[in-house]
Amino acid sequence: MFQFLIKRLNLLFITAFILTIIAFLIDRAVVTNSHLISATDKNYVIQYVEYLYNVITGNFGYSTLDGSPLLSKGLTVFTSTLELCFLALFFSSLMAIPLGLLAGLFRDSKLDYMIMTIALTCLALPVFWVGVMVLLLPGIWGGLLPVDGGLSLIYDVPNITGFLLIDTLLVSDNYGAFAFLDRLAHLLLPALVLSFFLSTEIIRLTRHSMTMVMRSNYIKAAYAKGFSRTKIVFVHALSNTLSPIIPQLRLQLSTILSFAMTIEIVFNLGGIGDWLLNSIRAGDYAALPTGMLIITTFILFFSIFIDIFMVAISPLRRGLLYANQ
Amino acid sequence: MLINNEFNEDKIQSPLRYIWSIFKSKSIAVIAMWLLIILIIIALFAPWFAPYSPQLQNADKLLLPPYWLEGGDINYILGTDDLGRDSLSRLFYGLQLTLGGALLITLIISLVGMLIGASAALTKGIKASILHHLLDALLAIPSLLSALIIIVIFGPSYVNCLIAIFLSLLPQFIRSSYLTIEQELNKQYIIALQLDGATKTRLFRFGIIPNILEPTITVINRLFTLAVIEISTLGFFGFGAQLPQIELGALIASGVDLIYLSPWLITFPGIVIFLVIIITNIFAEGLRHAVIEGEE
Repeated sequence: MFQFLIKRLNLLFITAFILTIIAFLIDRAVVTNSHLISATDKNYVIQYVEYLYNVITGNFGYSTLDGSPLLSKGLTVFTSTLELCFLALFFSSLMAIPLGLLAGLFRDSKLDYMIMTIALTCLALPVFWVGVMVLLLPGIWGGLLPVDGGLSLIYDVPNITGFLLIDTLLVSDNYGAFAFLDRLAHLLLPALVLSFFLSTEIIRLTRHSMTMVMRSNYIKAAYAKGFSRTKIVFVHALSNTLSPIIPQLRLQLSTILSFAMTIEIVFNLGGIGDWLLNSIRAGDYAALPTGMLIITTFILFFSIFIDIFMVAISPLRRGLLYANQ
Repeated sequence: MLINNEFNEDKIQSPLRYIWSIFKSKSIAVIAMWLLIILIIIALFAPWFAPYSPQLQNADKLLLPPYWLEGGDINYILGTDDLGRDSLSRLFYGLQLTLGGALLITLIISLVGMLIGASAALTKGIKASILHHLLDALLAIPSLLSALIIIVIFGPSYVNCLIAIFLSLLPQFIRSSYLTIEQELNKQYIIALQLDGATKTRLFRFGIIPNILEPTITVINRLFTLAVIEISTLGFFGFGAQLPQIELGALIASGVDLIYLSPWLITFPGIVIFLVIIITNIFAEGLRHAVIEGEE
């Protein structure tokens, strides 16, 4: 276990090192008056060390627009993006896992073709276009769900945890559950639009994994023992089907975040994509390396967390721990 | 009728010809292939198909709906925009940049990525491990973000948008081709070839390529889909094609302000993007099934 952790952390350090170099290069290329590097006549190695020191101590510089520290601003908007992603993941898991399991069980049947057609349609719809088309809905539904902004302006919610869904619950003394419901209503449509793309991925992965499991020898052995199909599917197959999906989905994380950033720009949701785009349009380029470091750090740590989590829950993966001994 | 079947030997087809004969029997895939060819021809020869010049304005016909609705004009089949320009002509020209750019990116990435992935998989040691770590780092950057970074550094233009998408999709392709080749290398027949003393190039050409066709088709299909979506997304945000150029995403962006007045302006470009992606996916899926059946 210890060796495994060391190996993973080693990977983390090298990758993080490369990423800080990229962030440094962006900083040198586009930021005209950097707060992080004091003098410009020094050579690049010393400048990089200075930059690295600042980044490690949490000093990412200040916004040229309102003078607020970039790191805290970036983290606040990134939590909003994460809320969107998790809600979308929740919706699409509800929808896609049963569909994927059915498609895998009845492979090459009419049901399978129907489900795969749904998945293909969801993939082919460009997210930003769906977002714009959803903006038409208030004209049809009469403003049932808000399509603009992250929270109604009448609620004054202090920034405690950064996650607005939790913060609105914390101020329930003032507003009751209304602030929380308002935030949920604002997130609902963007999360549904994002879950289109996510469902395609999950349906595809679940179907593939289910097919592979149903072809394996231990399922044939279970059939030979005379177990009923229901028992085989629910007892033997299901638990082995779902665990390989998680690391596959982890590989898609950066694509999912990319789509989430697109959606929150369309819906004006106040996430990190929105923040970066507005900063760039206003000429505050220092937000770019900060945003990049925040997103990539999250992805790196999340990947390592998933790796350790997989080792903890899946016996097959646990074999990796002893492979090199 | 006298037909001598006695000496008609069964001709042994080459693998590609065999795959093609299976593919021909799948009617939906063949239809998708012809539709894709038609789309590419329209994109290539847009000036000949378009009824009007895409910049030609007609002050008498502003914001016309499609002709089958009330108030439509048969001369403007899909209606006009807020300057009286023909929507259909603009769609044809928009297809040129979106589909053409995506095809170009897909072609270059699959050649370059396959080359780098194969050389990383076939050579061991420090080169492969450096590549591995660099890829890990690059894969952690979402593609929209890396596109934003490149566009901020080099300025927004259509070519820079293509370069940005190229650089953000390349690591994904290298990673997946590396993994497929690595998996193939562990199989018995490759080891047998190696024991025969086959060189790396021969191993790659005759041992690996014919056997990774199916996963490669899937990956290239995914690459094309993402390329179309990202070109139009960047165009939508105004970082792709600049004003005299017409691109489907930029067309949608220019129609957003008029969304309640004339929803057609954003509906049709979106449907065209949708069609491009779905047709390619059906074609690729048919091809993949043909390859799988051909192998069995």
